[in-house]
Amino acid sequence: MKKYKIKLDRRSFLKKSGMLGMATLAPGVMLQELAHGRAPDEPASSKNRWGLLIDANQCSEECNACVTACNEEHGIEDFGRPTTDTQYIRKLKLTNESSGESLTIPMMCQHCENPPCVDVCPTGASFIRADGIVLVNKHTCIGCRYCMMSCPYKARSFIHENLENQVPHTPRGKGCVESCNLCVHKVDNGENTTACSEACSKEGHQAILFGDINDPDSEISKKLNKYKTTEVRSDLGLNTAVRYRGI
Amino acid sequence: MYKILSIKIPLILFLALYSGSSITHENINHNIDASSGDKCVEPTDVMRAQHHIFINHQSHETVVNGIRTKKYSLKNCINCHIKPLADGTYPSAKSEEHFCTACHIAAAAQVECFDCHASKPYKKVAKKEEDAQN
Amino acid sequence: MRDKTDYVIVEFSKAILIYGLIALSLIGLGFYSFITLEHEGHWITGMNNQVVWGLPHVFAIFLIIAASGVLNIASISSVFNIKMYKPLGRLSALLAICLLTGGLIVLVLDLGRPDRLIVAMTTFNFKSIFAWNVFLYSGFMAVVALYLWMMFEARYNKFIGKVGTFAFAWRVTLTTGTGSIFAFLVAKEAYNGALLAPLFIALSLLVGTAVFYKILFWMDRGLDIPMGSEIVKRFRKLLIYFIFTVFYITVLSHLTNLYVTKNHGYEFFLLFSLNTYSLLFWGCQMIIGTLFPLLILYNKKLSESAVGILYASILVLFGGFTMLYVIIISGQAFPLDLFPGYSESSTFYDGVEAAYIPSVYELMLGLGGVGISAAIYLFAIMVLDFTPKSLDNDAIALAGIPDPEPKIEENKEEPADEESKEELSEENQDNKQPKAD
Ligand code: SF4
Ligand code: SF4
Repeated sequence: MKKYKIKLDRRSFLKKSGMLGMATLAPGVMLQELAHGRAPDEPASSKNRWGLLIDANQCSEECNACVTACNEEHGIEDFGRPTTDTQYIRKLKLTNESSGESLTIPMMCQHCENPPCVDVCPTGASFIRADGIVLVNKHTCIGCRYCMMSCPYKARSFIHENLENQVPHTPRGKGCVESCNLCVHKVDNGENTTACSEACSKEGHQAILFGDINDPDSEISKKLNKYKTTEVRSDLGLNTAVRYRGI
Repeated sequence: MYKILSIKIPLILFLALYSGSSITHENINHNIDASSGDKCVEPTDVMRAQHHIFINHQSHETVVNGIRTKKYSLKNCINCHIKPLADGTYPSAKSEEHFCTACHIAAAAQVECFDCHASKPYKKVAKKEEDAQN
Repeated sequence: MRDKTDYVIVEFSKAILIYGLIALSLIGLGFYSFITLEHEGHWITGMNNQVVWGLPHVFAIFLIIAASGVLNIASISSVFNIKMYKPLGRLSALLAICLLTGGLIVLVLDLGRPDRLIVAMTTFNFKSIFAWNVFLYSGFMAVVALYLWMMFEARYNKFIGKVGTFAFAWRVTLTTGTGSIFAFLVAKEAYNGALLAPLFIALSLLVGTAVFYKILFWMDRGLDIPMGSEIVKRFRKLLIYFIFTVFYITVLSHLTNLYVTKNHGYEFFLLFSLNTYSLLFWGCQMIIGTLFPLLILYNKKLSESAVGILYASILVLFGGFTMLYVIIISGQAFPLDLFPGYSESSTFYDGVEAAYIPSVYELMLGLGGVGISAAIYLFAIMVLDFTPKSLDNDAIALAGIPDPEPKIEENKEEPADEESKEELSEENQDNKQPKAD
């Protein structure tokens, strides 16, 4: 466990200081930009880094709303074959080995800053977008599953069967690997939320908070600075964008 | 951030070769809805010869850079051009009544898009977009 | 130095027919499996989201390391200048190409999108060891082909030593690359050991020697290429050295893992608990694959008969295969520990040993690769003179007689990196002893 600290390399430092300058010079412009998100023709930018803060204290053991919502959002079918069916997000039950207390948390792709899946992918199909979202480019994925071998969080699934009736915003098909895409279509649309996060709030739990961890004024950044949060397997130094509180 | 080195030359070569081959479209039953809107995003002959180039380029821009402009997007092609069947539902790319399939069978060119992409308009999205247009 | 061996083009015979038919039916099975996989998707196999690499990968890696191992025989003759292996040089290089092709085809046909092979060959992420392996494999083919050319063309024979050295260095790198595929998976406890690459190299030498002996034995019985007692003796020695090398590195890697506290979980899982993998490890790899062959090789009667060594080779191949199976599959089946101090459970098999039962499709695909290797070999020996006319003691002795005017150049080894240097010296030691004999 460690306190969240935003890492800065030189480039993003320059960008960020530029951004701060902008904020002080023309706060109005900044605000407007935030409210509307990106324009459709504007590429994702490293000014942002999207992430999640998951609060284990708020997550209820019986609730599965985030998983259901995710499956619906991305059109993930249940073939009744649990070993091969895709799971972007799963409920993980943790039992403390000494006290016997248990808690549940949602687990998904942690959107690592130094993602092993990207390092090992032979074709570069696994990649990290400028704004920190880790995706699989299904146009170049050859289905070798090396990324699945390398992911420390078991976040990825292989598509084991022919699919039909995919939803247009989440193209997916047999023979490629896929994982949580942080609802990238919503992000691009400026919706500033994910299906799981929405569903969780709807259930009244507020366990999943989506936001920009590069923006010091965002709710997620404030919380990350205020509370003690955990990076899962922080020993690997992957600097994940998904953090947990209350573990 | 780490930039991936990639060699794209063969892809470009492949596309160049492909775009060179022209197909006679005269005798084909297109099953394409050409009535919606005034005109396509490019002149018809350009679209016939090069639509895959536009789409391929756009796919890269969307996946890698998150650019979601509508022009050249596959979703937009389908939403605009698909012809509903007699019962009001939309054909899937498996059937020859789908405009992509109809022409690609005649031209004997494989379409890979629908291995992953939806070949029909999505109900909710289609409705939203219709609403937005109205 | 001149090649004094007579080579022949093998004529069509009953043995070729029988083995040709077997090879073709294996290819047929493999092809059927590939078509079914392509059509249905991978859910019909035993592989799943937890164990993503299964039996096909075991077959593929087995064939690939065997490929680099069989080349060792050619290396012994041209790099280490032990001339009595010289008549085996052409065969050795041929087998390397055959086995590598078979292995790579299995690997490719198991991809989710084998139709995108062109993408894999043109778009590279140079941070990925997999991408490097594409170069290593295709380069290996080219180098071995060049090597063969030097051996076939009498006027180029003088380059054999140099090209052979290069091929040798390349194949050590290749096996290191294959081992590194696993060594780079930081999160998986099972692959944490630093000894994975040396282990793969040692295993490749062992498996390659066993495959080679099996072929020689078959040539003796099926093709009437007599194999003398000298060859049997040499291969017995090689097998013993390599079995001990593999055994030594295996023990060493488990001991170091036991020493490193964070790897205890996996070591207990594999060594001291009762599950498929521990049974395979102790029963198949250690007893059937290591102890039994050694018993044969040290048995007075068996160790002198060609058949005895054949049995030992077959057991060694079995042991090597299970060893790869254990390494590859158990490493994935062993659960990841995401939250130390907590026990985990989920619908995605967190915290439990992942199940994997290989399906018949995977077996067929793997056997298809073996069939392809065999078919290329059979075809090649019938069109070019790869095969020495005789391998009896006289022929071997003739190859060993130095040239009248010795122009032997000292081969200088300059391995590219430290790792291969280490391996080289290890190999030198291994090979010195049969010479001293
Ligand atoms: S959690 Fe796994 S899939 Fe996600 S970025 Fe990290 S390594 Fe890749
Ligand atoms: S399965 Fe696809 S995304 Fe994963 S490593 Fe292979 S090519 Fe890359």
